[in-house]
Amino acid sequence: MNNSQSTPDWLQQLEEQSRISQQAFMDNISTRLRRPRMTEAPAHPYRGAPEFWSGFQWSEQQRIDKFTTHFQEVGGHVVRLQTMGEAAEFIADHAMQMGARYLVRQQQPELAALRLEERLPDVQISSWNSDPDEAWTARAAEADIGVVIADGAAAYTGTVMVTSAAQQGRSVSLLPTVCIVILPVDRLYTRLGELLIPMDEIGRENLPAGMHFISGPSRSSDIENDLTIGVHGPGIIYTLLVG
Amino acid sequence: MNPAQSTQGTVKERADVALNNDFLRNAVKFTTERLRSGKQAAATEHGNWEEWRERGRQIRLHTIAHLDYYLNTFVENARKNGVHVHFAPDTAAATDIVMTIARHKQAESVVKSKSMVSEELHINRALELAGIETIESDLGEYIIQLAGEGPSHIVIPAIHKNRYQIAELLSEDAGEELPPDTTILAGYVRRKLREKFLGADIGMTGCNFAIAETGSMVLFENEGNARMVTTLPKTQITLMGMERIIPSWEDLEVMATLLPRSATGQRLTMYMSGITGPKRTADGDGPEEMHIIIVDNGRSEQLGDPEFQELLNCIRCGACLNVCPVYRHIGGHSYGGTYSGPIGAVLTPALNRNVAEWDDIANASSLCGACYEACPVKIPLHDMLVYLRRRKVERGHGNRWESLGMKGFAVLMANSKRLALALKMGRIAQKPVVHDKGITIKMGPLKGWNTYRVAPSMADHSFREHWQELSEETRRTAPPMDAQTRDRMEQILRQRRASGITGGQHE
Repeated sequence: MNNSQSTPDWLQQLEEQSRISQQAFMDNISTRLRRPRMTEAPAHPYRGAPEFWSGFQWSEQQRIDKFTTHFQEVGGHVVRLQTMGEAAEFIADHAMQMGARYLVRQQQPELAALRLEERLPDVQISSWNSDPDEAWTARAAEADIGVVIADGAAAYTGTVMVTSAAQQGRSVSLLPTVCIVILPVDRLYTRLGELLIPMDEIGRENLPAGMHFISGPSRSSDIENDLTIGVHGPGIIYTLLVG
Repeated sequence: MNPAQSTQGTVKERADVALNNDFLRNAVKFTTERLRSGKQAAATEHGNWEEWRERGRQIRLHTIAHLDYYLNTFVENARKNGVHVHFAPDTAAATDIVMTIARHKQAESVVKSKSMVSEELHINRALELAGIETIESDLGEYIIQLAGEGPSHIVIPAIHKNRYQIAELLSEDAGEELPPDTTILAGYVRRKLREKFLGADIGMTGCNFAIAETGSMVLFENEGNARMVTTLPKTQITLMGMERIIPSWEDLEVMATLLPRSATGQRLTMYMSGITGPKRTADGDGPEEMHIIIVDNGRSEQLGDPEFQELLNCIRCGACLNVCPVYRHIGGHSYGGTYSGPIGAVLTPALNRNVAEWDDIANASSLCGACYEACPVKIPLHDMLVYLRRRKVERGHGNRWESLGMKGFAVLMANSKRLALALKMGRIAQKPVVHDKGITIKMGPLKGWNTYRVAPSMADHSFREHWQELSEETRRTAPPMDAQTRDRMEQILRQRRASGITGGQHE
């Protein structure tokens, strides 16, 4: 039993072992490839998608249409709205219709500005990670509705992207029964690559811990190929396309 | 090798069991057909599929050819992200690292999302022996875990179970009768596993791709369980095959284009998650401690082997299973290893470094090449199956009767008079067993064939014996060749002689 050892000491010891094995592991690879260890970056002539793809662009209207079609085809819902005020109204109406009792939202100024607390006095609304003593995953797990803002979206695959941060929990788009994603139209791109390539550009140290690309409701076909919605994640997902 | 599933006997014996199971055969056929047509539709809708395949192949070839550089880059970057990286040359080492972590964490339960590497390592058994509850959270994996079986398909592990069997398994698990209704069954698993996700000490995942330049790992899934596993427990352990690397996020666009379309015909799986290190200090969720175990377990043996290196390009989509006429009849468990279908037939002997023990699964293929055509990174699996068969013979594991037969055939065919004599004798010798121009006896070499079919008898006159007559007939009935055609053909003949090509001549 190593339990008596403190965690930092234990991790330190693991790291030392790891660095020793690393050397042997990498040497084995280069020996088998019959050349010395490669320490400089090799030329990578085939990086990314084929050339014809990177010029491919849809107009804004096409992006909206395609995103809507693709997201709906897999069982998601898309609602086209003009303003954040309309988004607030939509969320409030739906929360009431569905009889929601708990709602969790990311702690972001755009979402605070929706003033859901005033619109839904009977619903217990919590703002992610606003109190350090709260059990936040439990709050998200009990929530009927989770509300998030997308950081980006790709029309070609019908995908929204959300990222984690202190004010943005991964659980908010994952644990509630219903997930509502607000997507400002100017964050909707054509290709998935337009969301991925910036990850290379901003560099390792600036990446969030979690980046999640969501293309519809949680689903499974594991029982006799019969499609089931909402297996572990939200079974109902709305994208509110705003702007 | 794998006590969780039947590996007794030969692939033929296991296939016989599968062939007797009508539900299994129909379910596998139905599912694979659905996946196959889904893939074809998705590839067509996307367009330029061949260009994308070629690009996928190029990226994988490039990465594997420089694997020491890219893997090392990944390791250094992952460490900078705060990940604890470990190296496991084999199953024992990987298990040891997992157990060390589990012990230090005093873990009582582990929730897992789908990982073929963990199946390969039989990690569940090791954890359970130590009294640690281990739960597969992918719906299909949860079902086969309850049944005590291994996955029979890379993408749809419980493909071989029907809803009644599943209802029975889940009812036993629930301690109450559950109806064979998909929604109710899935609803039960959702509730049950919710508690497990929230209460587990360790989350264990596989890894679809690892991005070298940022030290990130990427998971593709539809259910959301991999997100649960990487969000809720305090400790995350990721088991990653050493070849899962791609250089950049830009390259991920190609893999994200090929993998879901090839696996299920989806534009993208419902969730694709990129995880870069444990949670940041101020984050409200995500693992506090993250370990990545890089597993070799026979993979590096393929490096530098011109015949098998491309095996490491595999992105585990299962497209080769869905198009394989053999897989579709015998199902995944007949292959006896963790990986089934054409990829399994090649990968299992390769990873186990033991061609002799697994030799018979190389024969579970008709070499039709459908697997190569379906492969999104163009791995020539059918060629590899031939190489495997050759190695098996070279290492003295061939069939003695088969080699003897081949030698006899060579002697016979080397001399036309000998062949003619043998044929004449054969026609006389077959007389007692021919009925209605067919031979039905199930004896000796004819047993296998004649069990299901009738072997044709030898013709009364061979083609060569007919030749004189046939050529007379042609000369008499064929219209004379027109002068132009004859000139052209004579010219071709002259050219061929001048260029020195002499093959294909009979005189």
